[in-house]
Amino acid sequence: MQKTITLTRGGLGAFFSLIGFGGIVSAAVLLIWGGFSTLVIAALIVGLIGMIAWWRLVPDDFRAFISGRSVRYGTATIFTTVLLVGIIVMGYLLIARAAVTWDLTISQRFSLTQTSLNVIQRVNRPIQISGFYTARAAGLREIDDQYWRLYETASDGMIRRQYYDPEEVPALAQQFGVTEDAQVFLSYLNDDGTIDYSLVARVFLTDQQESDMTLAISRLLVAGTLTVYFSTGFGERSPTDDTQEGISFINNGMRESGLVTLPLDIGALAAQGGDIPEDASALVFARPLRDLTSDEVAVIARYMDRGGSLLLLSDVLFNRIPFMDQGGEFNNWLWQNYGLRALNAAVIDFVTGQTTPLEIIGAAIYDETDFSENLDPATNPVLFRIARAIDVNLSIENTDISNGRLIRSSEQSYGETDLTTLGETNTYEIDETTDVPGPLILAAWAWNQRNDSRVFLIGDSDFASNGQVANVVGNGILFTNAMNWLSHLQDEVEFGAQGFSTGVPMFYSRDQLDTITFFVVFLIPTAVLIAGAAIWARRVRR
Amino acid sequence: MSTWVVFRREVAHYAGSPFAYLIAFAILVLTGLLFREELVATETTIPNPAVIPNALSFFMVVFAPLLTMRLVAEEKREGTLELLLTAPVPDGSIVIGKFLGAWFYYTIVIGITLLYQIALSSVTAPDLGHTIAAYIGIWLYGGATLSVGILFSALTENQIVAAFLSMVALFLLWLADLAGQVISNIDAARVVRALSLQGHYSTSFAVGLVRMEDMVFFLGIILIMIYLATRAVESNRWR
Amino acid sequence: MIEVENLTKKYGALTAVDRISFKTKPGEIVGLLGPNGAGKTTTMRMLTGFLPPTEGSARISGHDIDTDSIEARRAVGYMPERIPVYPDMTVRAYVTFWARLRGMRRPASQVDKVLKQVQLFDRRDTLIRHLSKGMRQRLGLAQALVHDPPVIILDEPTIGIDPQQVIEVRETVRALRANHTVLLSTHILSEAEHVCDRVLIINKGQIVAQGKPGDLREKLQGGALLYVEIGGATAKDAKALLAGIPNVTSVEKEDKGWRLRISTSVDVRGEVSKRIMSAGYTLLEMRAETTSLEAIFLELISKEGSAT
Repeated sequence: MQKTITLTRGGLGAFFSLIGFGGIVSAAVLLIWGGFSTLVIAALIVGLIGMIAWWRLVPDDFRAFISGRSVRYGTATIFTTVLLVGIIVMGYLLIARAAVTWDLTISQRFSLTQTSLNVIQRVNRPIQISGFYTARAAGLREIDDQYWRLYETASDGMIRRQYYDPEEVPALAQQFGVTEDAQVFLSYLNDDGTIDYSLVARVFLTDQQESDMTLAISRLLVAGTLTVYFSTGFGERSPTDDTQEGISFINNGMRESGLVTLPLDIGALAAQGGDIPEDASALVFARPLRDLTSDEVAVIARYMDRGGSLLLLSDVLFNRIPFMDQGGEFNNWLWQNYGLRALNAAVIDFVTGQTTPLEIIGAAIYDETDFSENLDPATNPVLFRIARAIDVNLSIENTDISNGRLIRSSEQSYGETDLTTLGETNTYEIDETTDVPGPLILAAWAWNQRNDSRVFLIGDSDFASNGQVANVVGNGILFTNAMNWLSHLQDEVEFGAQGFSTGVPMFYSRDQLDTITFFVVFLIPTAVLIAGAAIWARRVRR
Repeated sequence: MSTWVVFRREVAHYAGSPFAYLIAFAILVLTGLLFREELVATETTIPNPAVIPNALSFFMVVFAPLLTMRLVAEEKREGTLELLLTAPVPDGSIVIGKFLGAWFYYTIVIGITLLYQIALSSVTAPDLGHTIAAYIGIWLYGGATLSVGILFSALTENQIVAAFLSMVALFLLWLADLAGQVISNIDAARVVRALSLQGHYSTSFAVGLVRMEDMVFFLGIILIMIYLATRAVESNRWR
Repeated sequence: MIEVENLTKKYGALTAVDRISFKTKPGEIVGLLGPNGAGKTTTMRMLTGFLPPTEGSARISGHDIDTDSIEARRAVGYMPERIPVYPDMTVRAYVTFWARLRGMRRPASQVDKVLKQVQLFDRRDTLIRHLSKGMRQRLGLAQALVHDPPVIILDEPTIGIDPQQVIEVRETVRALRANHTVLLSTHILSEAEHVCDRVLIINKGQIVAQGKPGDLREKLQGGALLYVEIGGATAKDAKALLAGIPNVTSVEKEDKGWRLRISTSVDVRGEVSKRIMSAGYTLLEMRAETTSLEAIFLELISKEGSAT
């Protein structure tokens, strides 16, 4: 009887050992082929139960097997090694999934800031981070992924990350608009988990991954909710014109920022007695070639009363009545309501003039507002071509209005009012009676705090053309700063730049360097060598 | 207990061996030079807080085999292994003791390089958290390279052969980080990279991030290597 | 105390040790005697836990060497044939290391005691690399003794050292009898005779004879051998003459002369020369042949062969 029981025990042990191995091996196989699933956990648990049962039932067999003392030494070693490796690999994969990390950097570079967390909290529709990295960028992807996975964790799965090799899926890459290795895009996901291609936003990566991603997400969040209309029908620069003179670049930039841009024919609208659409966040006049009629001004006035935003790019026109003609109805309306107007004068600047005094650089900025961000003339100057002088009434009576200057020309400049001569002969001459003395204002803004209407006036449109934006960084920044404010994009996505304390720059004197060199290259190693020699000498004497 | 005895003997050996001091000297001079290089290169900007660990991540490919080649091979050649295997201790504790001895020596050496950070602190305010992460990483990384060395030492009786083989193995493990440059399939490249030593250091510890999976990787390597080395030592009983 | 039962070790097709069984009593010194390659070292390696046996079992102080290996190893002090040393250690550090590894927590006083016992105490701070061969031999003994094991196994303890040192080592081993069971291997018969209480003779992995050394010698040797060369006699006459001498048990032709086997340890040389002279022949050569161990083995093996 006793013997029967012993046999059963051994047999049961063997049975459980098989279950144990089977469970663990199938868990590993499932994990490697199918990824992580409840099935893997189930197999793993079954495997572990089998192993434990085996161990409890016949501890001697188990120990003999694990320590390799069983029948065939070599085979057992291979088997136990494979088992050990399998367990470690599985533990590794499980832990890698859990993504347990400790960010030891003092600047907390690998931890999301409160700003980012706030933005993530506002995500209410699944977002996919699509990373396009080739095998050559595998290391880069690994670093970037440390950031992206923070978003996935913090959003509790609302934001998920997916990687593609653009060389494996060229069609998809094209659909996203991948142009080079290691680009990252954001898009919403449909209910069935597929990508919603209607809104694809590229994440512009610098070496500050967190702020780049958070900015991109907040842009995606407002994407489609803010619409900017481009006035058409008055001979304006066209947002779809991709020649040097067109403004397609800034249009594309606005779209990439998540803004919807649409054309709008104000003339037709006024003729029908209609209104500017309700969803208009801003209205852009990119150098109309004629001034507005009374009806058209009325349309704009009604729009502004609702809290509209206007971006006015007005050029000097030599031989016709310009948009915002000095003394014209629109210019007067703007002057009365916002304290801004354009002057019929071209800015001639002898200091900052480039090839001619007509092609000028903004000489100074007024940095009391956010508009001046990144627009220091010394580093990111704005280049204008035949700019129009504008004027700001800083002491406007209406106390709801705040306004201000942004860019001016140099002291050695003036406003040439004889535009006909200038246009025909390309010559100019200071006439102190009629010309406007410098410095002259080139860009200005106004805000009505009662209805939150906003105006940004720039006395030039060339600066925003494709040819200029592509070559002069400051021009793009000026436009972006203005548009972010006008379209309310800034209100939605604005946050202080990620407080990166990347470290303290290092300064040292020659003496300090010499001391350090002596210390690390000579003193420490030699001390070790002397200690070794001393010990060796002592040993030899024994 | 027996592990502790073997550990103490190994530490005493390193402490009394001119060769060990010579290796420490070489490591310190090389890291010192690279450290100075970094100082000069990043003047008026921000020096990499992980510059010394990064340098060690390559040096260990060469130095780990030199530090571990004698551990078991010498015992075999001198015949002391026979005596060790008749001592009333598990075979594993002998290997573990030896490994820990080598790791301890390595810890002391990288501990000395921490002095460089003091020098750095005198001219800037380095991100010490970043440095600490990198040092944790290189400490585990070094442990893994030493465990590879000990395995090869256990596999052969000839120290030079052991050193050469483990150098080759470590170099391959180090190089696998660059798999992406030759393998066009990113998933394959990532798997190969995940098997490399650098793949668990250069993109995490080296940038100031401690990932549990990397610690598991290095500790797993150590575990597997020590297990295999124990088996290799044990195999002396079978022939 | 050692109990060995059917201990067998096979290396592939080769059987190095073939079903050996023996027992030792406490305080007994047992010698394993046999030619090179007889299986002495393999047997000892199995008993010390270095090699696992293929079949059979052995117990050291009641601990099975296979299932209770650690305890069995704890009860053994072992000195391998080639003394394994760490040249970069001092004598004391070396012995202390082994004492600790075998589980002693505070070995200092025991180490000093053992070093005095093997007369290395004066050299306790010397590096092992500076020790002479004989000193290393005594150091090997010291490490085997330091943890005071009930069983001490010594593999060829006197090989390769000068005669004066051999005597010292033998004396030390004999002194161990008081507290330890000693198993030592040797291929020198006289050494076994001098040191051991009991001898096991091993050949080709098997015990071919065992007993007290003196008894064994008597039993094996069965007397002395004498080589005689006679001039001026025909082979037949010579053989008849020699065979007629008292105590001569056999006469065999060897080279140009004859080998006589003498039944007891009586000296028959006088008688032999006298008889040759009186028969009118010339005695060209006469010498006593020592019985080498190899000859004894040959004898034993041929006896075994004829017995079966």
